[in-house]
Amino acid sequence: MSGCGTDSPGGSHSGERELTCEESLARVYEYLDGELDSGEHEAVKDHLEKCRQCYPHYDFERLFLDYVHELGAGEESRPGLEERVREMLAAEPG
Amino acid sequence: MSIPAEPRQREFEDEALIHLDALYGLALRLSGGDEPRAEDLVQEAVLKAYRAWDRFEVGTNCRAWLMTILRNTFINQFRQQKTRPSPVEFEQIAERPSSDALYDADPEGRIFDRMIDDQVIAAIDELPDEFRIAVVLSDLEGLSYQEVAELMGIPVGTVKSRLFRARKRLQERLYDYAVEMGYLK
Ligand SMILES: [Zn+2]
Repeated sequence: MSGCGTDSPGGSHSGERELTCEESLARVYEYLDGELDSGEHEAVKDHLEKCRQCYPHYDFERLFLDYVHELGAGEESRPGLEERVREMLAAEPG
Repeated sequence: MSIPAEPRQREFEDEALIHLDALYGLALRLSGGDEPRAEDLVQEAVLKAYRAWDRFEVGTNCRAWLMTILRNTFINQFRQQKTRPSPVEFEQIAERPSSDALYDADPEGRIFDRMIDDQVIAAIDELPDEFRIAVVLSDLEGLSYQEVAELMGIPVGTVKSRLFRARKRLQERLYDYAVEMGYLK
């Protein structure tokens, strides 16, 4: 992971050190899951969206998670389940 | 003041049973596609909900209430059964270095448009319990790391590492499917 120009510490982004590629990619899921605090979220976003090395990895993970999220747990029907549930409820003392 | 049995049952059925397919869908994913186990889980959750029906505020989100009861019921069962030895596969996933074969073959993620959902669901079902449950709760149900950690009784850091491993494992399985289907070479 060299050549994106942010591997050296001591950057000047709002007083905070810029993240390296390795640090940014290590947080890609936490970033996409919305689990980082706002300062870190911005720092990771800044890196992943601008870095030529990291962007494709980030974009791929984003598409992957979007796909899985859209899938959802989904609805499934099971033959006879509703009748069995109704029978179970009828047998239950009020 | 207690409601007579029959109207109470009818009221519950009208409000709750329209969510039966959603409950069964979640039960099926949590139990890894085990249909009898998923049905048992739905029955137990519905019975708990029925017994607690007087405490449910009509007009609030009944589906969310039922899904929460089902998740809790599943996790209680899971944690009780967990005394049996951890499956070998769990260790293998935890130890094995993850591969980026799918990214390397298809960095633009074109495969996600062509994938058949059933294959992805099968891949999720086949994950070892600890990994599958984390993926179902987080990715399919949208719970936060903290919520998953509390439900499963594990630290947030463990949720993160399980999700990481599970997602990478899923990508490996999708890569295998994509090659099998001739989408990728
Ligand atoms: Zn980078």
